[in-house]
Amino acid sequence: MSTTAEPQLELRGVTKRFGGVGAVDGVTFQVERGEILGIIGPNGAGKTTLLNCISGVHRVDGGDIRWEGRSITGMAPHRVARLGIGRTFQIVRPFGSMTVRENAAVGALFGSSAARRGPKQAFEIADQVLELVGLKAKAGQPVSALTIPDRKRLEVARAVATRPQLLLLDEVMAGLNNVEIDEALEMVRAVHATGVTVLLIEHVMRVIVGICRRAIVLDFGHVLAEGEPEVVLRDERVIKAYLGERYAKRLRTERGQDSPS
Amino acid sequence: MAAFVQLVILGLLAGGVYVAVGVGFGLVWGVLNIVNLAHGALVIVGGYITWQLFTAFGLDPFLTLPVDAVALFVLGYALQRGVINRIIRAPLLFTFLLTFGLNLVIVNILLLIFGSDFRSVTPTYSGQGFEIGGIVVPYVRLTSLGAAILLSAGLAFLLSRTRIGLAIHAIAADRDAAQLVGIDLRHAYAVTYGLGAACAGVAGGLIAMIQAITPTAGEPYTLQAFVVVILGGLGRVSATVVGGLAFGLVEAFGQSIPGSGSVFANAIAFGLMVLVLVTRPQGLMGRLR
Repeated sequence: MSTTAEPQLELRGVTKRFGGVGAVDGVTFQVERGEILGIIGPNGAGKTTLLNCISGVHRVDGGDIRWEGRSITGMAPHRVARLGIGRTFQIVRPFGSMTVRENAAVGALFGSSAARRGPKQAFEIADQVLELVGLKAKAGQPVSALTIPDRKRLEVARAVATRPQLLLLDEVMAGLNNVEIDEALEMVRAVHATGVTVLLIEHVMRVIVGICRRAIVLDFGHVLAEGEPEVVLRDERVIKAYLGERYAKRLRTERGQDSPS
Repeated sequence: MAAFVQLVILGLLAGGVYVAVGVGFGLVWGVLNIVNLAHGALVIVGGYITWQLFTAFGLDPFLTLPVDAVALFVLGYALQRGVINRIIRAPLLFTFLLTFGLNLVIVNILLLIFGSDFRSVTPTYSGQGFEIGGIVVPYVRLTSLGAAILLSAGLAFLLSRTRIGLAIHAIAADRDAAQLVGIDLRHAYAVTYGLGAACAGVAGGLIAMIQAITPTAGEPYTLQAFVVVILGGLGRVSATVVGGLAFGLVEAFGQSIPGSGSVFANAIAFGLMVLVLVTRPQGLMGRLR
């Protein structure tokens, strides 16, 4: 897609401590342009903290974050957003006093500074994005009238409206039922198809396996494994991190019994 | 009956000033969650700018209002950017202390520059008016009401139709989310406070035409702004307009009670505020969140 060899986003030894505890501890990885990269890990592994470091909400205690070859470490959140890194929240945070359309328009009005937009254009972009995520019919409604899945759509819509080159999705599928997850997967694919790189945190393994070519497993702030989702999920260390030592052992012996038969 | 209509007219006209005093205070409170105790001092700064331009250059006081607005916007922007932003996430008490301190500083600077004499702005048409069917309408009061309504309409337009207005709505709803769609918080905060100060400045210009001002005269306006915003309901310009007019009416009727002075009128106005808080905490025009 791009002529430059450098990755779109690169983390080098990124560290964030809270009161001496390393929530994110020396994390290094790269995000390539145009990919869908999944980040998984047990609760408390540091996934959301990592997104907060990238988007500038947390000031990192060590390491370097590079966007298209330039360091963005320590940059204020609004400037990171204007560079073209969009972000959703795990717990949706719409602007409650506004309509669905206005929420998306605020994203379009600010966001990536590649193109300056006036209010009129912003509302046009908002309409396009709402169509993309399937919220067009509810554009005029107040946010309070939306269901949870729709609020998650709106959260994505607002981030997409900022015209990001990289979109950070923090558990957009959490709390959705199977049908809703399928719809949400379609939405992420549709957004990706417009040329946006996607980095998503997810607990639902089906999602990771379904749309990610590559996944990274975090545990206690460290990168535990990295690679194709199917391979990574079979990694014994990963199973141990999720299900504990005993279960991993049992699985090992079961597999040992299974293979000869 | 004529006396009643006269009171209603006078009350509404007086309400114009309260609308002007209230809108800026309500904006800062609603968006920044700061109960701005320096608001009255900013009102008086506006009053002195109008007085200075009127006495030194003979400018019509209504023409000085845009100057008040621009000067106070710059002052307010600088105050927020340089001082108040540092404690924006601190508990409410800190913003009380800081804005109270700012109030003292501003009042004392005014005392140094202008002294403690009472100053008034008296254009040739002041004290004049017209009469319809026995009802007296003073020119200055009528134009003040017009100016206050215009100010509120302008503010409402700015908040609902412009880029910075949408940013202000967004930071009021969720600061962190606003930041992550690319809104510069500190700038948006400073513009909000600047707009609040600009409204205070215009209110000060209007007040200087109606009564004499002195550097320490601002404090009652902070209180009145507080009552007006609570009466109308926090969060909307139109609600503050209703609150301001209601305050003017209540005060006019309070003063008309035989044997009552302005002190008694204030007591009635504050009593009404308490009543509103008890029976309709979201204000006359407010929406429950």
